[in-house]
Amino acid sequence: MTTNTVVSVSGLEKTYGKANERQYTALKGLNFTVDSGEFVGIMGASGSGKTTLLNMLSTLDTPTKGDVVVNGHDVTKMRGNQLADFRAQEVGFIFQDFNLLESLTAEENIGLPLALKGTPSKVMDQAIHEVAETLSIADLLQKYPAELSGGQKQRVAAARAIVHHPAILMGDEPTGALDSTSARELLDLLTTINEQQKMSVLLVTHDPFSASFCQRILFIKDGQIGSELRRGDQDRSTFYQGILNELGTFNE
Amino acid sequence: MLGKLALAGIKNRRRDYLVLLAGLTMSAAIFYMFANLATNQAFLKANAAISSANVIFGFGAVLLILITVVYIMYANSFLLSMRQHDYGLFMMLGATRKRVGELVFLETLILGTLATAIGLVLGLLMSKFLVGFLLNMLGLHLSHLTAVYVPAIVATGVLYVGLFILASLFNLIKLTRTTVLKLLHSDELANQPKVKPLRQMVQGVLGIGLLAAGYWALADIKALQLLAIPIGLVTITLGTYLLFRATILMVIRALRHTGWAKKHLNGFLLGQLNFRVHNYTRMLTIVSLLFAMALGAITVGSGYHRQLPMMAEKIGTYTVAVHDKTAREQKLIDQLHIAHQATYTQKRQGKTVYYNASELTATPVELRAHSNSGNMNDQKLYTESLTKFKKSGISDLDFLSLALGKVGAYAPKILTAKQFAKQSGTVVMVTTVRVKNLQQDLPALKKLNKLETARFSQPGTMTVGNYQNYEMMLAFFGGLEFIGYFLGIAFLAMLASCLMFKILSGAPGDQRRYRMLYKVGVRQSLMRHGIAKEIGILFLIPGIMGVIDVLFGLQMFKPLMAAPMSPYLGIGSTFLIFIGLYAIYYLITLALYWRIVLPQAPND
Repeated sequence: MTTNTVVSVSGLEKTYGKANERQYTALKGLNFTVDSGEFVGIMGASGSGKTTLLNMLSTLDTPTKGDVVVNGHDVTKMRGNQLADFRAQEVGFIFQDFNLLESLTAEENIGLPLALKGTPSKVMDQAIHEVAETLSIADLLQKYPAELSGGQKQRVAAARAIVHHPAILMGDEPTGALDSTSARELLDLLTTINEQQKMSVLLVTHDPFSASFCQRILFIKDGQIGSELRRGDQDRSTFYQGILNELGTFNE
Repeated sequence: MLGKLALAGIKNRRRDYLVLLAGLTMSAAIFYMFANLATNQAFLKANAAISSANVIFGFGAVLLILITVVYIMYANSFLLSMRQHDYGLFMMLGATRKRVGELVFLETLILGTLATAIGLVLGLLMSKFLVGFLLNMLGLHLSHLTAVYVPAIVATGVLYVGLFILASLFNLIKLTRTTVLKLLHSDELANQPKVKPLRQMVQGVLGIGLLAAGYWALADIKALQLLAIPIGLVTITLGTYLLFRATILMVIRALRHTGWAKKHLNGFLLGQLNFRVHNYTRMLTIVSLLFAMALGAITVGSGYHRQLPMMAEKIGTYTVAVHDKTAREQKLIDQLHIAHQATYTQKRQGKTVYYNASELTATPVELRAHSNSGNMNDQKLYTESLTKFKKSGISDLDFLSLALGKVGAYAPKILTAKQFAKQSGTVVMVTTVRVKNLQQDLPALKKLNKLETARFSQPGTMTVGNYQNYEMMLAFFGGLEFIGYFLGIAFLAMLASCLMFKILSGAPGDQRRYRMLYKVGVRQSLMRHGIAKEIGILFLIPGIMGVIDVLFGLQMFKPLMAAPMSPYLGIGSTFLIFIGLYAIYYLITLALYWRIVLPQAPND
């Protein structure tokens, strides 16, 4: 493992069901790495194992076999509080359904990861306002999630995901519940964050448009990595065509 | 077909329905227990020392009905929130509003009737058990008290079924007027209460004013008579509600802007409380009232229980007098914790009882001082010289009673040892015993008194000794003591099911929120602490308010518990036991909540 690798997955397997029951293997020996500062997409049809993979990476689920190393931590060896702390400090999440706490204001939602760390309130305020500027939600901070549109909610969720400068930002279909304008805005923001803050981003999606913002795309099929596509110097719309072509052949 | 679907929906949410049914059943059972006492005129007439007990029960019933109405409203909204998604789905699939309305109506009514029926059976069993247990524990005999009392069964049945019919109608109207879309997306929407400082100030001041008026009404019960109770009930209920409404929200708002709110899950806790404060104020008001009534009733009950022996002890000079004690009686006397014991030889001749002066000098008869202060604690025991005793002490009622028979039937006469030896007559040895603590020796004293009265039947209401004084007082106040304990336990159970309900009905929403926190990386221990704090606050606020209510409300019993009794005497231990029970109840609720709400880590 080189120092600039932020995620390293080797021989990852996940089997559901107990030994004496009917078993289903969702992941069959996955291997890949994500370099620091990279913007990687994971694509695949429904049931291909995308979400299972993300759950392994984010420690919400444990693998049956294999290793997952995130920012130098072997997450398969962690237990209890270590897992919680890992999620709180090393990873930022954006979910399809936002996962904002409706009883807290946008500001309080964003501040949550810092509060968990016990950050002094002045430092916290500063960090919240910085990230709010970046995501242009400074004027929304006092509002409750119910008062925000879907796009605004997802930007607040993104702010919460990066406010504590995690090693990697993981998104699970973050544009899934957004209209096309909001989706494009969010993806542009993720690109900006990735470029300016050198934050690694891992995006799980089945939407080719979202995927076209990535630098590299891994295609998963039946629990294995089927192929890989690099953007290189192509512009986004060319890459988008490339992805569509790949999907066309990949799914056959 | 739709009926089948509805049934399948219920099956899927078995646990929720079980909670709902259990809560309603408990409520009906408790109402029956109360109605059993309140409507039993024969029991009240025979056992309540005061005629106003009847009226107190009347107000108690009104209050309980109000609480029941609110309780059923809660239960109903819980039911509706569980079902509206399903019903929305049925409508989306093409079921007519009329058909769905019928289903809602039937479901509510069936559930309610079932709960009432089970509740009545449970109430009967609980009454039987509790009545037996309490009477046994308190050593009371109350006439006309039965577990099965038909008018109470009718009253409970009519009230509950009536309320459920209303609830069904309400559900019917509500569901048929809401749009399908709203039904489908009925998940909790944030309703953030708006803060209007001036209005809150007014509410707060008004609340405190009403509370003060209520406390004053209870304290001034002598002047206001029975009017004090309805005044107190209305003003304290409203006052508590307004005060909670005004202050809780303000405190939360203020705390939210502090640095404390930005540490760990504190902000989330405040957000949670703020989010639900409107629902909570009503619930907290009811719980604080129930808490106050449960604690107050038990305090009064235990006050009588503890203080009746204390008071009896202060009346006469000896606890029991035994004439020509048998071996069995001696055995019982040996079990007592004796503070003073004397044995005198009597010789009875005609209408005179002769005593030996040398015996009276050796162990002088104890006498009780009379005090004008009205405080029985000032009436100390003393002895006097034989010469003095011949003039004054000899006419002491307790001493006269040693002769047995009607007071004044025998005249005591003291002879010198020589004269006494010559005096002819029936010889009777009388032993007087004064115990250290009447309460402590009650069982042995009871047996001793039984043996003694069996051998020497006493005419009329003549009492000999403090033990008999105690029995007489028990006959007079025992009914109140029993009612106090009984109601206390009933209210405590009601409080328990009320809080439980409210808290559990919030659990599904919390499940989602804690799942989110879990994903974001909140430690399990932090979530546990957060829940413990949140539920702790929900228990603490009504607890504090309830204790304050009781401290003021006990004033009401001052006329009934005159010196040396006092409604405030020794309440510390009662409070401690009660708070202990409340704390145990908190821990149970907390454990339940943890189990429902906390997400399981994959490794566990």
